Amino acid sequence: MTAPRLITVSISDMKFSTRSEEVLVTFSLGSCLGITMYDPRRTIGALMHALLPDASASPDKARGNPYMFVSVGVRSMLRKLEGLGAERRNLVIKVAGGADMRGDTVFRTGERNVAALHRVLREERLGLVAEEVGGTIPRTLYLAMETGEVSVKTFGKKRTL
Amino acid sequence: MSRREEIIARIREVERMPSAVQKAVVLLGDPDMDMGELARIIEHDPGLTTNLLRLANSAYFGAKRSISSVREAVVRLGASNLKKLLTTAGLAPVANQEIKGYGLPPGTLLKHSITVGVSAEELARQLGVHAPDHTFTSGLLSDIGKIVLGTFLAVDAEPILTLAHDKGMTFEKAEEEILGINHAEVGALLLDFWELPENIVQVVRWKYDPLGIPKRDLALDLVHVADALAKMSGIGVGVDGLSYRPSDTVAKRLGLTSDIIDKTMAEVLDKVEEVFQGIGTPEKRGH
Repeated sequence: MTAPRLITVSISDMKFSTRSEEVLVTFSLGSCLGITMYDPRRTIGALMHALLPDASASPDKARGNPYMFVSVGVRSMLRKLEGLGAERRNLVIKVAGGADMRGDTVFRTGERNVAALHRVLREERLGLVAEEVGGTIPRTLYLAMETGEVSVKTFGKKRTL
Repeated sequence: MSRREEIIARIREVERMPSAVQKAVVLLGDPDMDMGELARIIEHDPGLTTNLLRLANSAYFGAKRSISSVREAVVRLGASNLKKLLTTAGLAPVANQEIKGYGLPPGTLLKHSITVGVSAEELARQLGVHAPDHTFTSGLLSDIGKIVLGTFLAVDAEPILTLAHDKGMTFEKAEEEILGINHAEVGALLLDFWELPENIVQVVRWKYDPLGIPKRDLALDLVHVADALAKMSGIGVGVDGLSYRPSDTVAKRLGLTSDIIDKTMAEVLDKVEEVFQGIGTPEKRGH
């Protein structure tokens, strides 16, 4: 068996894969959301690392790169996956991240990101299978293409989501 | 000797930023400074000169046509830009290493530092206020205490994290409990020892406790918020994560809204990349 190939997803980026030897990963999610979608029947998956809830913060940036924003990024990701042959009803969607500063009543970016995701999924009539969001800890998120397993790592400890 | 005294005593042994940076920053604070003398000081340090010229030609510092000599940079960039550029160039070799105690791989602290500096200025722009001249530099240097604690003293973050977690404490308060000092104060003592200007030292000292500063400073308010934005964006975040408390009072007096926060964060990402690439540091991982 060959070692899995790591594909890194940066902030405000999305990467997809159709190759079972690949693992998509994004490092240090703070308030950002790491969103994975996976069609187990066709082995098609993607991971997005979105910075902010809504494109209204910068329509200009959103035109250049929808993946900065949860709202438009999720839709763009869906189109991409469908274009590759994935089927909506098969999609397993999971999310991690959305941390906030301790006792934060000011920014609440993480909380707002999570709310934006729930909103867009509701509008798209899609469900969320698993989530690990909130708190003050940075997270690393993995999607293993071979099995569709999604895992979260914090402080060197990895667990399945 | 208490742990606090032991840490403070060791500050003197930390390798300095290039002395040319300190001299230049002090000179740049003097309205009557001699441009020729400034250029000579910089040219004396070949590493600094290389970094300075790279940055001077980066998109962020906005050179319209290429700058090929220190003299040209000094004349064309102006005192304010030059100060930012020199501190960035001077900090790069110091902050680019791995900071083990805080779980920061090589390059990470430098990128975080740049993010704080850039975010503080962008926040001012979004708020429609004029950022004081020392804002960028203070933000840039505001985590330098982590280098002392995390590298030089090889502080173990585990008990600090456990305390912060168990008691719901902010990370810097947990540092104070366990070490007798937090990394902001260590950073301020270090910069003071290096004879950097007092207004920069003060911003660094009070970054996590902005109401504690004896004389209110807009640069501190901006850096305090910028630091939170940098941590939230996850750029260069270590084991301490987002375990710091943003001040409601500062948010109110700046007139912060979630719209301004989002606009600032949306603008910052590309700018940080411009500065980071300007230093010519390869990316180690995702960000």
